[in-house]
Amino acid sequence: MTSSKVLGTFVVNGEPHEVAYAPHKTLLEVLREDLGLTGTKHGCELGECGACTVLLDGTPVVSCLVLAQEVEGRAIRTIEGLADGPDLHPLQDLFAELGASQCGYCSAGFMLAASELLERNPDPTRDEIRAAVAGNICRCTGYIKIFEAIELAAARLRGEQGQPTREMLYGS
Amino acid sequence: MNPFELRNPDSVAAASGAAGPARVFKAAGIDLLDRLKERIDDPDALVNLLPLGAELGGIGRSDDGTIRLGALVTLQQIADSDALAAPGLRALREACGEAATPQVRSRATLGGNLLQRNRCWYFRSAAFQCAHDGKGDRCLAWHGENRYHAIFGVVDCLRVHPSNAAPPLMVLGAEVEVQRGEARRRQPIAALFPDSPAAATAEHTLGADDVLIAVHLPAAAARGGSAYRESREKQSFDWATTAAAVHLGVEGGRITSASICLGAVAPNPWPVDDAQSLVGEAPSRELFEQLARRVFRRATPTEQNRYKVEVGQAILVDALLAAAGL
Repeated sequence: MTSSKVLGTFVVNGEPHEVAYAPHKTLLEVLREDLGLTGTKHGCELGECGACTVLLDGTPVVSCLVLAQEVEGRAIRTIEGLADGPDLHPLQDLFAELGASQCGYCSAGFMLAASELLERNPDPTRDEIRAAVAGNICRCTGYIKIFEAIELAAARLRGEQGQPTREMLYGS
Repeated sequence: MNPFELRNPDSVAAASGAAGPARVFKAAGIDLLDRLKERIDDPDALVNLLPLGAELGGIGRSDDGTIRLGALVTLQQIADSDALAAPGLRALREACGEAATPQVRSRATLGGNLLQRNRCWYFRSAAFQCAHDGKGDRCLAWHGENRYHAIFGVVDCLRVHPSNAAPPLMVLGAEVEVQRGEARRRQPIAALFPDSPAAATAEHTLGADDVLIAVHLPAAAARGGSAYRESREKQSFDWATTAAAVHLGVEGGRITSASICLGAVAPNPWPVDDAQSLVGEAPSRELFEQLARRVFRRATPTEQNRYKVEVGQAILVDALLAAAGL
């Protein structure tokens, strides 16, 4: 058993960070506690809620169930890396515009899972969106606004206008 | 989690040799990290198998039609594999593709799925001491909350086997390959589960220094039709309340071979011997419903899980119909 710290380099959002951390920490704990990247949320801690979703080498994983030691040097993307400089990612714009983010605790995980979907499938169906975010729980929205936000973000990423309808914003 | 050391052996033999008291093997760690956080397990060291992908990974199909699934293959890789595209193997793809969530399936391994601990809430809570965790003298589910618990094959512990992959591998006639030290052995997958799954017995029969290397499927598994169906309370991230894997051979309108294994209803994956009664019959809903009634008539539900008798029959009939192409 050991409690001394180890030194490792984590490549988060394209930037290498050298971190001294306790060797039994999860990726979630290193991101939040050692790197100060608190956009990744600490939810159930058991892999069930998806709030801590990040992209590991481009694939969504629950960072609460990944040992930090195992991902040194690998490409990690968190919500802090979704925007392009000052320009928000269309998913971030649409989550805000549609109210797809209410309390906001699940939003980072949803957007990262959705961003991976839109990378490999620029024009997903509603069912494909449901499947892609099936590992993310939201207790506020009832999911419909999240699905609509992802659909409109997909449209904007395809170069289409992707404007919310009146019904999306105000209900029918 | 309490602190632990992470060991990264450079071979399977070294991993096997690194086993010992207070040391546990780790693949993706999906179930293990849960247990460490819940303080159910408190090892001094984790022996990490993930770096051994060259020996333990990959899905390979030989010229003779047999298939090798490395123990570190992920559930998503199985669900998406072209090598497993044959209708006879569909049950395995379906079972792995329905497990948990995309985030979990992308990391959870076949070996970990087969060897995970059960989900009984008394076992999973450090606040309770039960006969299965070795700290108590009885199964607390008998007179407690038992709606997700076993209705078949109970000895003295009501846990159910949690693996999605095990029932389809049972009906496909899979063998597991295990290494201890330098020695490798192969055994039917049924031998991975205890003959008498008592409270004092672990969910699997492997020794502390046994490393699960691979799962092998015979060429015959690809022939015929197969299906996996499960009931659960939520559409996503939920353990099955009942499950059924089926493999059927049908020629000339008659069933020529039949294999059924139920999941989530017994402490082991639960093979149905009565499946043999289907051989020689013409597949039909009536035939399958009769069989399902016979099978579940022998169930021994407890106070809160009687629903599994009805739901389990429906799930079994669904799986039989799908495997028969009806």
